[in-house]
Order: sequence, then structure tokens, then C-alpha cells
Amino acid sequence: MTLWRGIPGFIVRRLLLSVLTLFVVSVIIFAATQALPGDAARSILGRGATPEALENLRLELGLNEPAVQQYLYWIGDFLTGDLGISLAANIPVTELLSDRILYSSFLMLVAALVSIPLGIVIGAVSARRRDSAFDHTMSMTTLGLAALPEFVVGLTLVVLFSTTIFQWLPGVVVTEPGVGPWHYPKELILPTATLVIAVVPYTARIMRASMVEILESDYVEMARLKGLPERLVLWRHAVPNGLAPTFQVAALNLAYLAGGIVVVETVFNYPGIGLALVEAVQSRDMPVVQALALLIAGLYVVLNMLADIATILVSPRLRTSLTAR
Amino acid sequence: MTSVDEALSREVERGMTREHLLRRAAALGIVVAGGSLGPLAEAALAETQIKRGGTFRLAVSGAGASDFIDGQHIVAKSDIARLMTGWDRLAYIDEKFKIQLELAEELRAEKANQILIRVKSGIEFHNGKTLTADDVIYSIRRTATTKLGLFGNGAFQSVDPKRMKKLDSRTVRLFLKRADVTLIEAFAQYFQGIVPVGYAPKSFRGGPLHTIGTGPFKLKSFTPGRQSVHVKNENYWRDGQPYFDQVVITNFPDDSAKVNALLGGQIDAMTDVPFAQVPVVRRRNNLKIFISQSGAWTPLCMAVDQAPFTDVRVRRAFRLLANRPQMVAQGLSGAGRIANDIYSPFDPAYAGDDFPQRKYDPEQARSLLKAANQENLTIDLITSPADTGMVEGATIFAENARAGGVRVNVKNVPGGELYGPQYLKWTFSADYWGTRSYLPQAAFGSLAGAAFNETHWDKYPNYPRFARLYRQAVATVDAKKRAQIIRDMQKMEYDDGGHIIWGFKNLTDAHSTKVGGFKVDRGTLNLNKYGNGFRTIYFV
Repeated sequence: MTLWRGIPGFIVRRLLLSVLTLFVVSVIIFAATQALPGDAARSILGRGATPEALENLRLELGLNEPAVQQYLYWIGDFLTGDLGISLAANIPVTELLSDRILYSSFLMLVAALVSIPLGIVIGAVSARRRDSAFDHTMSMTTLGLAALPEFVVGLTLVVLFSTTIFQWLPGVVVTEPGVGPWHYPKELILPTATLVIAVVPYTARIMRASMVEILESDYVEMARLKGLPERLVLWRHAVPNGLAPTFQVAALNLAYLAGGIVVVETVFNYPGIGLALVEAVQSRDMPVVQALALLIAGLYVVLNMLADIATILVSPRLRTSLTAR
Repeated sequence: MTSVDEALSREVERGMTREHLLRRAAALGIVVAGGSLGPLAEAALAETQIKRGGTFRLAVSGAGASDFIDGQHIVAKSDIARLMTGWDRLAYIDEKFKIQLELAEELRAEKANQILIRVKSGIEFHNGKTLTADDVIYSIRRTATTKLGLFGNGAFQSVDPKRMKKLDSRTVRLFLKRADVTLIEAFAQYFQGIVPVGYAPKSFRGGPLHTIGTGPFKLKSFTPGRQSVHVKNENYWRDGQPYFDQVVITNFPDDSAKVNALLGGQIDAMTDVPFAQVPVVRRRNNLKIFISQSGAWTPLCMAVDQAPFTDVRVRRAFRLLANRPQMVAQGLSGAGRIANDIYSPFDPAYAGDDFPQRKYDPEQARSLLKAANQENLTIDLITSPADTGMVEGATIFAENARAGGVRVNVKNVPGGELYGPQYLKWTFSADYWGTRSYLPQAAFGSLAGAAFNETHWDKYPNYPRFARLYRQAVATVDAKKRAQIIRDMQKMEYDDGGHIIWGFKNLTDAHSTKVGGFKVDRGTLNLNKYGNGFRTIYFV
């Protein structure tokens, strides 16, 4: 049973736990949408609910079958890549969302590429110049920004840079369907900045905290005593060791971005999955809501898992404690 | 002043500017008030400001992925805007709510159950086909096909699809199942586009020829929930129109994003500015708020066959418990005007202004309730945020009613519940309606068998008289006589009806001052009926 031991064992257990989490999430999503108390078909049709339309929709949704059966059909289709047919658009959900997923991934990627290095640098420098003016300013700023919800940040940026104070940048993303997001660099600036501002404070604060601890440790002291320049001590010896907790935070933040884009995309009218989710909820397009909820939850779980595994791999102490058992 | 006006308008045509004209008028000793010339001269002057070409960008609220484009069907505002680009109707309803001919050269009720239609000659569809009587017959038959579920179907009940006779290549005579003079207005509804023979026969979500109309713009591309691009129909039958080369309609699920796009100059016009943002737009010199009075209403509905409303005194008391000015000022943020329990304010026969305006009178309400033995009444009022004003109106009414000794419990439920199994069975509930003339509205909401008879008016003891008057009205071709009959119907609803109609709503839109040509409009569509299909507006 070596499979359950050591690092491979940890990864296997972590994987199983993730699968279990996703299963529970899928049951909750299903229960909250399809198996609603009352009649999902009626809540979809609203005022236009004629008996004929109701019966058709019930058949289409399989509402006349027992709930467990409905769930099994749904999850079975889902696992084989069939996300169903959008009730609103009458086309496959996959077709509806492919463009949207591209848009959201691109926004997340750009935000991550800017925010993670920026957070690490700010954190490291703050720790190095602990209690300096820079450190205090950064500490106050990050604390303040961390307390602001994204829509406040987003709307403030819009007011500052595109509508009321200056009119430099587009405050809303108006794109042509079928054209990739990278064709709109100017439009991307404010949404990216909003996400960066939402994420950097956490990364920077965690990085600073772990760096402060490391900079006081014996091996850093040793490096200093060897007469290494402080710059080298910081970037060569301290930073790599301070990265482990930061990985965690970065991964969590990426996962957070997956949810945060719902708000940011709505503020900027950015045509990604967040906006698609809002629209699907408004038009009660259940297959789309289900697919997106599971997609975002899945991303959350996977990123968390990767963060845990990466943390184990980069921290010698945790690594040995697992192998020793 | 008219002859002077005419003379000045001719000067404009010769290339005179406003300054020239004002100087000339002064030289002639004519006093021009506030620097404004006569209407003809102003129109001519406006004409000279037209800059042809350009891309007009409009932001609308849409239904997301369920958006579609069809010449005869709509659900969301985005569908309306898109329909207006590509189709014309036999007739249309103008800014003053009068019916004007469009594709038809003649459209009239020969008798109450017989209608003659003749279309203009030489009009071509987007694919080059000439408009004929066959297309008219096909278009009417398509809407009358109940299983397609088109928006105008309900108003076509009197059409007999089998008895439409083609008299010549441009002329059709309809023999109706029964007398129905409201059909002329039904033909003038914006969603009653004329489509070519063979047009999407099975669905409003596409099919053969589904983008083909006779309208000012041709569809170039369309992604539901996102954007559509429409290019100028170079072959359009109205001389000189449209002015734009291209129209781009973009969906915005969020209203504030629309406002931001307008403030940032990314769009030229938007529908439905949120009340809170109106001052922000007003402060800008380069933007304009555009208000249209509509006939849309959000009534409180009392079921006349359910206690306590079976007693007409209770219904009258409740109508006196609505503080209408307060409901409009707070419930609609002032974007509307008070009403007098009668719907269809733009109908030429509207009598709501002739009957005494009901005022907030808790004392009289109290004594009516006492007489009806209903003092200290407690009642549930079901409402839902399905449309602006429904929750606000109900809440203010509940406060108002307290002074009359009535305890109203407002139950704010999701739309799915208000319009769920209990819909049309509630004793006391809120609802919403758009702008219609009186007879079509009565057919939708007040007659026995009406689709949305929320007050159960057909159970009112004196209802047979109302039904008789309705039948008489739709069979009366003479407009004056018909107006008198409609007035009698309104009197019945005013005295004994179950609707509390406290206000009519405005539409509040905004556009850039770079766009000209919008005319103040009374009606049901935003932005002067989307610049009358984007053909009467232009860049200046």
C-alpha cells in the first residue's frame, strides 16, 4: 500500500478529496436549480406559462422523472462533455460559452501575470525595509484596498479615468463578437487594474509576513555574516523560501479571481463567463447557470489542490514530515 | 407668420444660415421670439445640419442569449430595436399617436368586417424582390398562425386566413370573421412588419429569408446577447433616408455600464437611464436626456368577485386611498404623471381627463368602508419587482391606506410566484401593462375570456352591458360614434371597476448632442421609436 504513503499518497488523497468536494458542489448546484421547491418550468416561463408550454418545458428538462434520476442524467451528460442546450439561445451550452471562456481566461491570465509578481516584489521590499516610510505606506495602502469590494474599485477607476475626471480610457468594453480580447488592449486596462487592485494587497501582505520571519532566521543571519551583499541575501536566499505561503495565496487569489470576474465583468460589460452568468440568471437559463457554477467551483477546487501540492513540494519541512511517516 | 415662415424656409433651402435669417427678419421688422424661427424654417434649417453617413451606436438592455431578429415578433427591447432597422409596416403610429400610412397607399375599413389594403408601387425588399399583394397576404397569415406564437397574434383574432382576396398585384381585400375596426391599429403596430412570401414560416428564431424586409437597414451580422451590425439599404423607398451608413446595436445587461459607455463617448445613445443617474447625464453639455410620455401603467387590481371587493363601496374607497401625486413622485421618481383609474391615455376617445380626478380622501374612504361594514379591514397585496413602480406603488399605497383605517400587508414575491398558479386568482395584486388603445386593451384585460382578466370584470353584475358596448364599438366604423360608445365603457370602469390606475410612466433615454432629429413622442417605444427605425435621426 505504498500508494497511500509519502508524497504520491498525499496527492492521491488530495485528489479524492477534491472529487468528493466537487460531487457535493454538483449536488448543491443541482438542488438549487433543477430540483427547486415548486416548479422550475413555471419559474422559467413566468407570466407566459400556458399549460402547453409548461408541459413541453417539463419534458425538455426531464422534470417528470424522479430527482435522483434527473441528477444522474445531468451529471452523466456533464462528465461526457454534454452541457445541455441553452434554454434561452436554443444552442449547445458549449457553443454559447466557448467565446466567453476565452475572454475570461485571458482577463484572468493578464491580471495574474501583473498581480502575482507585483505582490511578491511589494511584499519582499516591504519586509526588507521594515518600518520604513515605504513599508508603512504600503501597509496602509494594501490594508485599505483589501477592504474595498471590487465594484467600488472598478467604479472609482471608471469615474477617475473614463467618465467624470479624465476621459482617457474606455470605461466599458464594447467588442465585436468573434474577435479575440487581445485586439482590445485599451479596453482591457481598467478591468485588469481592478482585478490587480483586488488581489495584490493579499499577496503582498502574506509575502511580507513570511519574509519578515525568514529575514530573522538563522540561515539568513549566516548569509549576512558571510558578508554577502544585502540584495543577494534577499533575492537569492530569503525570497525563494518565502514563496511557499505566497503560492498558497496566489492560487487562492486566482480562484478568487474566477469568482471576482462576475462583478468586474458586469461593471465593465466585459463579455466573459461572469457576464454570461448574470445574463443566464436573469433569463433563468438553467443549463447555463449550472454549467458556469460547476465550472467556477471546479476551478476553485483544482487551484486549491494545486496550491496544496505545490506548497508541499517547495517546503522541505512539510515534505520530509510526509515521507517520514 | 406662416407665410413669413414659408419664405424663410425657402431662404434656408438657398443656403442661408440662422444668423443671416435672423438679420434679415430684423431688417424686415419682424420680431423673432427667443431666436427661434417658424416650424417650417426650423425644419429646413435642421435639414441643412444633417451630416450624411457615420456609424450610429446604440446601447439597449437585452434578454441575453435569447435575443433574436424577426420582422413580426419581439420579446425584449433589444429585439424591438433590431426589428425597427429592417422592416416597414402597412401603416405606423406617429409622434402624436395618429395612424399614418407607410407601405400601404390605402388601408381602410370598407365595412366593419371588410378591410381594403393597397400597397405602394415599386417598393423592393432587401433581396431585390418587388413588394406585392402576395407578400401582404403572407405576412398577415404568418401572424395569424397561432402556433408560431407571434406577438401580434392576439390582435388578429378576427382575421380569417382563408378569406383574403387578391384583387390585383397590389391590392388585397380581407373578409373578417366578425366586425373589428381595431384591426387597422393592429396593422400599424411597430411589430407588424411586412415580410416576403416564404419568410421564416416555422419559427421566429430564423429560417429562410428571415433577415429580409423593406426597411432602411440590412442586417450584416448578429450575435445574440452581444451585438448586431446593420448597413444602409441603398435602395430604400423613402427618398434621402436613411442618413447613417451603419447602425450598431450593443446589448448591455447592466444599466450603469450603459451610462458609463455614454459618458465615455463609446456609444451615441442609450435606452432607459436609471433614475439615479439622470442628473449625472444632465450635467454634461454634450449629452441630452430624452423623455417620452408613454401610456404604460402598473395598476393595483381588485378582483370584483372576491370579498371584500364584491361591494362596490369598498372598491371606491380603495381608489380614494391612493395618494397619486405621492405615488408618482416617490414610486416613479417623478418620471410619470397621475392617472384617473382609466387606461389608454392616448386613445382619441380617452375620457380619463373628463371624469373628476380622484383625489386622496381617507375620510370619505372611511365612511364608505363603514357603510359597507368593512371597518378595520386587513388585506394582503401581492406585488413583485417585475416592472418599475409595482413594488414602490404598492408600498406607498399601503402607507396611504392606513389613514383610512385599512391595514394593507404588502407581499413582495418573485415574478415566478406572482405569475405562478395563483396569477389571475389573487384578490388584490399589482400588475403591469404597456401602451395600447382602449378597445385592444379591453380585449386583453377586461373582457370575458381575455388572456389577463386580472380584476374578473366579467363577473361584475352589470358586465353584459359592457360586453355589448364592446361588440358595438368594434363594429362601428364612424370614429365619433365609436368614441361615444367607448366613453360609456370607460364610465362603467371609472365608477365600478377593479383597477386602481394611479399613474402613467415616462420613458427616460439619453443621447449625444452629436445626434439630431429626435422628436418628442407619445408612445410605447424608446428614443422616438428608435429614431423611427434609425432613418429620421442623423449626425449634425
